[in-house]
Amino acid sequence: VTSRRAIGLLALLSPLLLAASFWGGEAAQWIWAVAVALFPVALIALGVTRGREGLGPLRLPLLLLAAVLTGSLVLLLALPDGGPTVFGLPLGTAWILFILVPVPLAIVAWAYAFSFDRFWLREEDLERLRQLRSAPREEG
Amino acid sequence: VPLLDRPWILASALVYLAGVLAIGVWSARRTRTARDFWIAGQSLGPVVTGIVTMAAAFSGFVFLGGPGLTYRIGLSSLFINASVGFTSGLLGWAVAKRLRLLAEVREVYTVPDAVLARYRSRVASGTAAVAILIGTVSYLGVQLLALGRLLEPVLGLPDLVGRWSFPAALAIGLGVLLFYSVVGGMVAGVYTDLFQGALMMLAALVVFGYAMASGGGLSRIGTTLAGSEAFGRTFLEPFGKTPVLTAFGFFFVFGIGVLGQPHMLHKFFMLRDPRKLRWLPFTLGFSQILCLLIWLGIGLAVPALVAQGRLAPLANPDEAAPLFLLHFTPGIVAGLAIAGILAAIMSTADSFMNIGSAVLVRDLPRAFGHPLRDELFWGRLATVAVTLGSTALAYAYNDLIALLGTFAFGTFGAALAPALAIGLNWRRVTATAATASIATGAGLNLVLELLNRQTWFPSLPKLPFAPGVLPGAVSLAASFTVLLGVTAWTARRGDPPLDPDVSAVMEA
Repeated sequence: VTSRRAIGLLALLSPLLLAASFWGGEAAQWIWAVAVALFPVALIALGVTRGREGLGPLRLPLLLLAAVLTGSLVLLLALPDGGPTVFGLPLGTAWILFILVPVPLAIVAWAYAFSFDRFWLREEDLERLRQLRSAPREEG
Repeated sequence: VPLLDRPWILASALVYLAGVLAIGVWSARRTRTARDFWIAGQSLGPVVTGIVTMAAAFSGFVFLGGPGLTYRIGLSSLFINASVGFTSGLLGWAVAKRLRLLAEVREVYTVPDAVLARYRSRVASGTAAVAILIGTVSYLGVQLLALGRLLEPVLGLPDLVGRWSFPAALAIGLGVLLFYSVVGGMVAGVYTDLFQGALMMLAALVVFGYAMASGGGLSRIGTTLAGSEAFGRTFLEPFGKTPVLTAFGFFFVFGIGVLGQPHMLHKFFMLRDPRKLRWLPFTLGFSQILCLLIWLGIGLAVPALVAQGRLAPLANPDEAAPLFLLHFTPGIVAGLAIAGILAAIMSTADSFMNIGSAVLVRDLPRAFGHPLRDELFWGRLATVAVTLGSTALAYAYNDLIALLGTFAFGTFGAALAPALAIGLNWRRVTATAATASIATGAGLNLVLELLNRQTWFPSLPKLPFAPGVLPGAVSLAASFTVLLGVTAWTARRGDPPLDPDVSAVMEA
């Protein structure tokens, strides 16, 4: 189900981005903001999904990632002239430097390492692959 | 480029070149098979893989072009890098594990090998190889010309050989690169990249410190720029001098296009143990952020120094980094930074030399059904041929190759990202869909970018897109659309079932 949803989302976002490239105007900007934020999350969800287990322990980190990316790009677009000044920079620019770059990295680096051997690449997966690799040689 | 022939800079460049030559000699004895030559004997650990992937990905553009671009368009240039927070995780989850596991069950050394294993289609694999060759020649040509242009003043060649200084600099750079890449193959490639990556991170960190200090700290730099007539607050705003659709286009092309960069993906085949992928997002992501500090630091400091009247306005924005290093850092730091820039250029170049030779010797012959026997011998020969060919093309058609090189990232992304990121994770994607997507991505990107930038034929039509839309972003979205559309169209007929080992890789 998760794979189908991810594919469905990608099938919606790709032509939408393409169409918005021709329209232009303010609507196209909002479409691009949301679409380019959700696109990587949909691709990750497609890669991560494991049969009946779906997203497993990665459901929450991916929701968080989607929220940070979408919220950030929408915020940047909504702030007039980049917003008020923070640390000598417009809020929007400070947000890119201190939220949009480091927070997703912290989420993905932690979630990837945390879920790796329990969910993402288990010993039994590797064992099965080793057997498949040796099978043709035994036959030969 | 301002004069760079100061003693510290010359000494750093010579020590750096000697270092990579020494690694070439060391690795020559460790390169005995085609597996060693193409994937470094599949012997890398997680930290090395992360750093060499970063070193291959970040060319001289991060160190020279990035600060120059920021001087030109302001901090909206950050959108090129804003995706770096998630790209390492995206690579890890969408492609790295499956590519590495394919190399566990099959003799998969290159991206077209992976395409062949997944789709069992020599047409799909051959199309991928052609797309990679086009991007490689232009990417490599640009890197080699940049190497010659940087070495020329650093080695003081204009005073030594007069008008022959550029060919002489190019010959020296090529000589070093060819020596270690031919004799040591990817073993030399990865260990020089490790050395170069470490140098890049160190240089970026130190120069960032000097950049912030010279401008009076982040807050003061911001206040100075906001109050200056030449730059103003617009310079600092996220979309200041850039249309919104361009900024989001940067985010999309560099955030998603990363999934199709062969010089990065190639490194995943080299990891010794697939379980060590666990640390990939951490090592890759943090090493990338460290390197990008130089872009931010010099990109902010130089306009601030101009606004404070401590530096003359730049006639050529690409001189931002060399001017800052010469005038605002001690000789030893400037030397370290110049070595870091050389490292960034050469680490990207050596990756493409190997990938380009693999296309000629491995990928295309296999796509035509005639694999070569002695790949190690032919691989070495092809490395020389690809390098000299790219140099000659770049030298003869400088403008065209520079143009192609500037959008090679987009070409790779549009050609390969959908077929790999979706195709390796969704078994319904057909070989026809993958081939159509690869051809559409590469072809459309070339046509759109050339139409968008060419000035040779004024009567040719302008692109019908909204203002600011990047051709690379359109090509990438079109390539995904084609992959999904053709899959829907051809899925009912479908491909034969996957081989059991490939099926297991996709289920793992």
